[in-house]
Amino acid sequence: MDAWIELARGPFFRIALSLMVLGLGYRLAVTISHIATAWYRAGDRRLPLSDITEATMRWIFPVRLLRTRPAYSAASFLFHLGVVLVPLFLIGHVSLLQGLLPAAWPVLPPLVADVFTVVALSALLVLLVGRVSSRTARVLSRTQDVVLLLVLFATLFFGFLGSHPTVSPVASRTMLLLHILLGDLVLVLAPTTKIAHCVLYPLTQLLFQLGWHFPAASGRHVAQALAKEDEPV
Amino acid sequence: MAIECSYYLEPIDTTDLAQRFLKAFAAILSHSNYAMVLDAACTVTSRCGRCTSTCPVYQASNDPRDIPCMRSELLLKIYRRYFTPGGALRSRFGIPWELDESYLNTMAEEYYRCTACRRCKLECPMGIDHGLMTHLGRWALAEVGIVPKALVVATREQLEGATRNTSAIPKAALVDTCEFLEEDCVDEHGLKIEFPLDKEGAEYVFFPAVSDYLLEPDTLTGNAAVMSATGGSWTIGTGAYDGINYGLFYSDRMLDRIVSMEADEVRRLSAQKILIGECGHASRSAKYFLRTFCGADEAPEVVNFMEYTLEAWKGGRLSLRKGAITERTTYHDPCNIARSGWIVEQPREILRHICADFVDMTPNGRENYCCGGGGGTVSIDEIREFRTKVGGAVKAEQIRRTGAELVVAPCANCKKQLREVCEDHGLDQVRVVGLHDLVLLAMDPPEHMLAGKDNDVDENPAEE
Repeated sequence: MDAWIELARGPFFRIALSLMVLGLGYRLAVTISHIATAWYRAGDRRLPLSDITEATMRWIFPVRLLRTRPAYSAASFLFHLGVVLVPLFLIGHVSLLQGLLPAAWPVLPPLVADVFTVVALSALLVLLVGRVSSRTARVLSRTQDVVLLLVLFATLFFGFLGSHPTVSPVASRTMLLLHILLGDLVLVLAPTTKIAHCVLYPLTQLLFQLGWHFPAASGRHVAQALAKEDEPV
Repeated sequence: MAIECSYYLEPIDTTDLAQRFLKAFAAILSHSNYAMVLDAACTVTSRCGRCTSTCPVYQASNDPRDIPCMRSELLLKIYRRYFTPGGALRSRFGIPWELDESYLNTMAEEYYRCTACRRCKLECPMGIDHGLMTHLGRWALAEVGIVPKALVVATREQLEGATRNTSAIPKAALVDTCEFLEEDCVDEHGLKIEFPLDKEGAEYVFFPAVSDYLLEPDTLTGNAAVMSATGGSWTIGTGAYDGINYGLFYSDRMLDRIVSMEADEVRRLSAQKILIGECGHASRSAKYFLRTFCGADEAPEVVNFMEYTLEAWKGGRLSLRKGAITERTTYHDPCNIARSGWIVEQPREILRHICADFVDMTPNGRENYCCGGGGGTVSIDEIREFRTKVGGAVKAEQIRRTGAELVVAPCANCKKQLREVCEDHGLDQVRVVGLHDLVLLAMDPPEHMLAGKDNDVDENPAEE
């Protein structure tokens, strides 16, 4: 078991992390390149930057969303809080990244990490139940929309049990192994699933606003490409 | 509520329709910025369903087809399959999917169930603009001839017809209408106004929705009264006098050609700016797309008439009586000028002054609800039941809750739609008017506008 754990938190983790960093880096670079190209081609480069910034910031602290779908909004926020803070600042994770992170990297006190984990798990349950119980959500959901929630739930759950042997019904080392393997899976899936929004989010409001800034000659070029320049309306 | 949304098309060639659609789509993606939008949407869409809580069509229909991100998925599916390496691989090694005519028919209906009000964008955490997806989907469909006949026929007349406007109003009729309105204003209001035609070197060239000349005499009279009262320098160009731009609803190629027509007319008359009448999409087309297609530095500045009137009133050049309008009045925000935040407070400042009983709808402003006829759907008469019973259902309830007798809707399309909404929802006491209809009634005219004064020109000196 220990050998498997060392494999999972050693080479597997390093490969998964590399794939995640390279993959997300590629996504980010491509998106920035697309934005730069689109802005350069745009006939009107004047953008409502204050609107874009305000919209981007509004969704980091989505207080207004409590007006429209309060349960979903609260669950989503608490889930994101836990799933961002615990992986980045849990002492066990920080020790895995020794040498890669700055020396003064903050760590969460164990009790605080536990609270965030339990809250995130509860929020994940709410989101999962919402996904499968609502007719609208069932119509909307793709495979990844349900599977990712299940994988994240299992990762957090096994991680919590692995670090709390007294409450784990199964050997905590087994829980730890499952946690690490599932965590590695999440890292690998990040660039190719909607998890990529973790790096793209700061750019999406800008990108979709820029989508309305067409190249000046786009209509004429499309007409030429389709040999419709002289075609009547 | 299962009301279908079927509209008339002109005859189209259905040979290899799917293949020709893909060719057109490829041309559009190559020569535009839309590929960036589709690529990002494929990656970041979380299918959270938040858009369902704001879409007026979905809120009324509860039909999964009307969920904004499901509608966008119609286009994203094509993009992934035919324009991404992953899609090509999946089609070879997974379950293949091929675009066919039936899928295009589905798109044809669903993209015109959408009013392109862009309310969904406000609620999407990623800011995905499903109205932009509708805009793109409609353009791609239009390139293979799938576009409501009502929109094409009007645009054809505007770009290629003898009259160069969507209502086929000949120049002679325009001149007659302007003269009639001038005379009628003297008879009805005792006020002298002028509609200057083809005046060179004016500050503004006026572009209302041309249908105002047929259907909204009070709005136009109010417009001219404001210009007469303030000594505004304006003109109507008989070379092009229609601000309507259906290109915004179905084709960037047409959008370009129509705004270019407006810019040409301003140049012909050596004018400086464009003054847009009470029309939401005409305002947005001119303000945001003249700069795109006619040069950001060369395009004339665009002013909405409500901006002009507010500035004139606040600057003391226009006098309006406080509380002149006694009926309970509410204001409908046209999506095309409110969603961006461009025109939200300006009309309200005027209305709070001239109305004794002004009440706002909730929500309003940038978060307004669409009238239900947006995106050009109001011009498609055959889908009236869908527009009013589904698209306009939320708006009907908003109006009902205000208890208003007057609904000010500074948009030609919204006016038509709201009148039909009120009729079909039993809101018989409601009248839909333009802002300048009320401005005209509340105006304290300067001396020089009063008819029957000594400064009148004697039209028949020979009779004395």
